[in-house]
Amino acid sequence: MRRCAIVGAGMTRFAEHFDKGMKDLLPEALDECLRSVDKGAAKADIQAAWFGQLQTSDGFPSGVLADSCDLLDIPVTRVENACATGNDALRNAVFAVGSGAFDVVLVIGADKIRESSARTTFWEWAGMTRDMAWDYPLGLIAPANFALHVQRYLHESPATREHMAMVAVKNHRHALNNPKAQLRFEISVEKVLGAPIVADPFGLYDCTPQSDGAAALLVVAEDRVDRFTDTPVWVRGVGLGLDRVMHQHKRDMTTFPATVRAARQAFTMAGITPDQVDVAEVHDCFSGVEIMSYEDLGFADRFQAYRLVEEGATSVGGRIPVNPSGGLKAKGHPPGATGVAQCVEIVEQLRGEAATQVDGARLGIAHNIGGPTAVSAVSVLSIDKG
Amino acid sequence: MITTIGTYLPPWAGRTGRRAGPDEDAVTLAVAAGRLALGAATGQVVGRVVLISRELPLLEGGNSAALTAGLGLPRGVRVVEQLGGAAATLDALLESPVATLVIGADAGEPAGAAAAVVGAGGLDVRYVSRINRSLPVRSRDRAGGFHDYEDPRLLRDRGALASLAELGHPKLDVVAGVGGREAGDLSSGSPLDLPTVGASSVLFALAGAAFSPGAVLAAVDQASVTVVELDGGHVAVRRDERAARPAPPLTLTPGPPIPVSLSAYDRAFRAKLGWRASTDADTGELRFPPRPHGAVRDAAGEVVLVDLPRRGEVYTSSTVNVPVPGKATPYQLVIVELDGIGVRALASTTGTAAAVAIGAPGEMVLRRIEIRSGIPDYGYAFRPDQEITV
Repeated sequence: MRRCAIVGAGMTRFAEHFDKGMKDLLPEALDECLRSVDKGAAKADIQAAWFGQLQTSDGFPSGVLADSCDLLDIPVTRVENACATGNDALRNAVFAVGSGAFDVVLVIGADKIRESSARTTFWEWAGMTRDMAWDYPLGLIAPANFALHVQRYLHESPATREHMAMVAVKNHRHALNNPKAQLRFEISVEKVLGAPIVADPFGLYDCTPQSDGAAALLVVAEDRVDRFTDTPVWVRGVGLGLDRVMHQHKRDMTTFPATVRAARQAFTMAGITPDQVDVAEVHDCFSGVEIMSYEDLGFADRFQAYRLVEEGATSVGGRIPVNPSGGLKAKGHPPGATGVAQCVEIVEQLRGEAATQVDGARLGIAHNIGGPTAVSAVSVLSIDKG
Repeated sequence: MITTIGTYLPPWAGRTGRRAGPDEDAVTLAVAAGRLALGAATGQVVGRVVLISRELPLLEGGNSAALTAGLGLPRGVRVVEQLGGAAATLDALLESPVATLVIGADAGEPAGAAAAVVGAGGLDVRYVSRINRSLPVRSRDRAGGFHDYEDPRLLRDRGALASLAELGHPKLDVVAGVGGREAGDLSSGSPLDLPTVGASSVLFALAGAAFSPGAVLAAVDQASVTVVELDGGHVAVRRDERAARPAPPLTLTPGPPIPVSLSAYDRAFRAKLGWRASTDADTGELRFPPRPHGAVRDAAGEVVLVDLPRRGEVYTSSTVNVPVPGKATPYQLVIVELDGIGVRALASTTGTAAAVAIGAPGEMVLRRIEIRSGIPDYGYAFRPDQEITV
């Protein structure tokens, strides 16, 4: 398979974009992506697009992308894979370029959660992930979906709500310099622990906000890289893992097997081990999920993730900085855009251009876990071709 | 003759008695009492069920299926859904052949349910007299709203008293279907303190004391009365009547109707309401909710469903505190590890004012999990053995 690299990366600010629709956000992300290409790129260079979007908030997704961005002469494929959508869109694009079918492709992700009334949003989104007969009527809202995992994890491991709070504090601190982040303010452990409980053990500040936004990557084949940049970011590995959809069928809720499977694929493809990762964007929709994911990604031994938090190892300046962008927690989480935006951050980190820079980062990963914790995607990016 | 009686009272204190929980209705109350009356091993001996209530939830049909599934009875069992109160229940006892389960369920306040198995031995109930008269001091409109005339003395004097005088029974040993004060006026001795005044009240009365031969019992529905004589035989009583406590404050956030798929409802029904799992053909492990792929099937190709245990302990839990449109909050979700079979269930909790912790033991009970676009969606909820003190 041909190697491929990311030569352009851009995104909108993540926010409650009440004043912008999908047809505004997509061109904005695409324009910033094309502008970021060192030697210049035009829409005419794009041969195909993969568009990650969960909810069809503005109508038929592929058509909306093609129409709003004037990409009418190329094929557009919509990818929907719950919260793993963004990284899965990249994965599909990588295979398309790697196969030789295309040389220059667009990966773009977007969602608008704040597009319907607060009263209808919940059941609309729940309908995409819950079994209609068994789980849907129980009110298994997204925080509760993950809380059932984290509650058991806290029961079996030494980790505590304080460790979760420390993760939230870290990610808010990381987001302070990020102009694209939705929540750019510092919080304290005391504030996190004292906040109203959403679904225990998650308080308000353990939870990602509801976000709108879009992000885009330009992915090209290795023999076309020089035409666009002298500092490409290579896509070294991609992985997608699944698990039983219903919690009732999961044997051990202190781990996300989907992540383990996705990471194994991506790391094997890249030929790396977890200890080689310099920087990671990890799915922290809820603070405790980031802690659990340290173990599933291989950064910590089972039930030892709390040590990384206590040691500050996952803060920028630490041994393995996690979520220097602020993560989903502070940067925001428009699901279709989230994984793509994680890659935007990793690209900037590896090129030394990030708002909150990890010194000397050469290899980074992006990770999503989503749906009813039944799908995960992991991408391995590196400044080294490998 | 009445062989066994099962009684169930919701734990929530109301203004005039117990109050049904937000996840309870006449069907779930009837199942709670009916299962006790049937006992663990006697379910198959019942060939007919009579459910008497004034709050039947699915007036267009469907109660019977939920009822028999919850009771663990075959789908072919004859079910009579009858609108009525205390007198109707007593009439049903008199008229039922052996192997009938008679259930009275009162979902309005005061709430409760009781069920009796009519069998070959036990307490004999002999018809004495009956009178049908009309004095509708309380009526209900088509939308379920009550209209009360609010004249208790009129009801007493021109209702039960007038009817009993006409029947030649000025005083009774036991009376059901009326409030405590009226019962005192009608009874020869100290009236039984019955928890309900509707269809279940007669069965609570029969379960409430040992009767001497010849004792006279009357069941009253406003001005209509049925009178019977008891023979003093023994009836086995099983009760589920936990101490009353204040219902937890709930906040209902307005929202659009919660969508429902009746296709999904139909596919899940037998396993979901019957509390049954499929079996993996390769490993022999139970799968719940059932997993069609690789499941053991019968000769007709249908997935074979096997009964699950109804006891277990909490594997993990979370209480949702944020407003959820269309749902009452807070509510607690638990994953329950069922005893001894490696199967877990996702459920809401019921019958507890406080959150239950990991490891808490309890049982799975039929409840109305939600009303979705007007349709009651039944399933099983986890009921902890003990109320947890915060």
